[in-house]
Amino acid sequence: MVDRIERLTNLLALLLETTRPLSLIEIAGDLDGQYPDADKARRASFERDKSALRDIGVPIETEIVGGGPFAGQTTYRIDRRAYELADLDLTSDEMRALQVAVAAVRSDSGKEAIWKLGGALGDERPPVSAMIPERPELPAIRAAVAARASIEFGYRGEPRTLDPWGLLLRGGFWYVTGHDHARGERRTFRVDRFDGGADGVLAGEPGSFERPSSFDPRTAFPADPKQIGYVADESTDALVLIDGLRADAIERELGADRIVERNDNGSILVSVPAGNLAAFRSWALGLLDHAVVESPPELRAHMIEWLTAVVDSNSEPGRR
Amino acid sequence: MSGPRNAEDRLRRLLVMLPWLMEVGEAPLADVARRFEMTESQVQSDLELIAMCGLPPFVDEMIDVFVDDGIVFVGIPRLFTRPLRLTAPEAFSLLTSARTAMELPGADAAGALGRGLAKLAAALADAGLATTTTTTTTTTTTGGDIDDAAGVVVDLARPEFADHLAEAAASGTELEITYYSPARAEITRRSIVPRHVFADAGNWYVSADDDRSQSRRTFRVDRIESITATGRTMDVEATTSPGRFFEDADVDRATIRVSPDARWVLDQYPIDGVVELADGWAEARLPVSSDRWLAKLLIRLGPDAVLIEPAGESPAAAIARCMLDRYRPVAG
Repeated sequence: MVDRIERLTNLLALLLETTRPLSLIEIAGDLDGQYPDADKARRASFERDKSALRDIGVPIETEIVGGGPFAGQTTYRIDRRAYELADLDLTSDEMRALQVAVAAVRSDSGKEAIWKLGGALGDERPPVSAMIPERPELPAIRAAVAARASIEFGYRGEPRTLDPWGLLLRGGFWYVTGHDHARGERRTFRVDRFDGGADGVLAGEPGSFERPSSFDPRTAFPADPKQIGYVADESTDALVLIDGLRADAIERELGADRIVERNDNGSILVSVPAGNLAAFRSWALGLLDHAVVESPPELRAHMIEWLTAVVDSNSEPGRR
Repeated sequence: MSGPRNAEDRLRRLLVMLPWLMEVGEAPLADVARRFEMTESQVQSDLELIAMCGLPPFVDEMIDVFVDDGIVFVGIPRLFTRPLRLTAPEAFSLLTSARTAMELPGADAAGALGRGLAKLAAALADAGLATTTTTTTTTTTTGGDIDDAAGVVVDLARPEFADHLAEAAASGTELEITYYSPARAEITRRSIVPRHVFADAGNWYVSADDDRSQSRRTFRVDRIESITATGRTMDVEATTSPGRFFEDADVDRATIRVSPDARWVLDQYPIDGVVELADGWAEARLPVSSDRWLAKLLIRLGPDAVLIEPAGESPAAAIARCMLDRYRPVAG
């Protein structure tokens, strides 16, 4: 009995070396005795091998014979140019930089890629790293972004069709932004909320849309996480007083140009975009008693109303 | 190190190992094993097996490789001289890793990483993996890599002190920091020796030796208020994998109900479990680092959340009252 690896290797070599597509009968003949003799068992073993090779990335082409005594038969070959990795011509410092990058992200598929490029991770342990969430849908979405192919997917139980313009990793999550066919406008979706994993993303024909030339996923991103899947509104500014304890941190977060006033007690008055009410409220409330909304008056009133409701619903005996 | 053992994984590993061996000609078995994360006996048995492969008229001669006295030798390369193209997940991973590294402290966009990334993007475009050669639209002339840069963006929102901390970790520099602890709403002053700086789930952390607790602690970089070097330098240690910030089995738990509008909470925070309720509401049990943290969550959620446990007065009530006080005009 031949080892499975040996048969897979021989099949791979045969399909790479052949000058014309081969039928299963011819393949079984060349790999003498390695496939079962019975038609059904031979077909089953071959299909298993073919899908194993495809799983590791081998591009096997199939062709149906058009005429002659073998018309209708399926034949197989591997195009060597499609099989082989293009030479990247990386200099040694470029290779090293990519190795360090993959080590910093600790990605297993990245490691396989580095091996193929002729590098190795070795003992690279950079003092800085980033955990990048891996999602099975991402390679397919990225390929669709690059190919300008529409994608279909389920999102919270609802089927969607999107022209994907770009992927963005922000705040620890992957988002895809693009044109939503059914809604007729730009939408952003969180990739980990897609239904159905890698097989849940169906890509259409390449070149089926054009991305707006000014598109940048960073600026297209809705300001409020709750609005993912919706559109963001335009913006107005609020004035917020930040006490001395959090003043430095907020100045770093917003930048010095957002500071309207610096007080002797260390507090600062800052101007913050508040067009997106929910996002603004969440930010201001997150600062607890270190922040007070000064203006506009209706926003200040909204905060007081909100806090009064929180006091009521969270106090005894008002609490259920 | 336990290498791959099913047939597909073994073959996949062989298909990256063989081109590399053909390039170098010969290599110590131990080096090959370390490089490809396998044991020496796994490498040896897989190479011996692959050497037996062959097709007429080259039976047993197709792949000329043998192991002798701890050295792997490769004869005349015939097949598998070039590695297999990158798969879509590998290409995605490599590009994302490189884009991520560009966002890390010390990245030099114009340097080796930037050049390597550009070559990679171009090659993937040629191979049909990235900018799959589609129609000749107006964008193609501007170059595949520029176009592709908007296709995948990694935004790590690096706080100001991350670079400083990363330098300190690389050089073993001791720093004095002031650190805001939201759990106690206080600022502490402490000396730390940064060991590893990392980004995880939208935040930046520094894992450091902390003099106050005499232990390795993880701090959130955006809560560090100031940094000064103490002038002392410690040995740089081989970095270990950082732990995650919130993986603490000992902290208290709370049970809250959230409305359909507040379901993002279930994705945003680590939770022990969720029970679905009527009308899209859900009840979740989650770890709570402090009463203040829980109060903040409840105040932000307002009518979209109800605290179930612990029973008694909710910590949100007192803090919300205190916030309301600040909205009242000061007399006189």
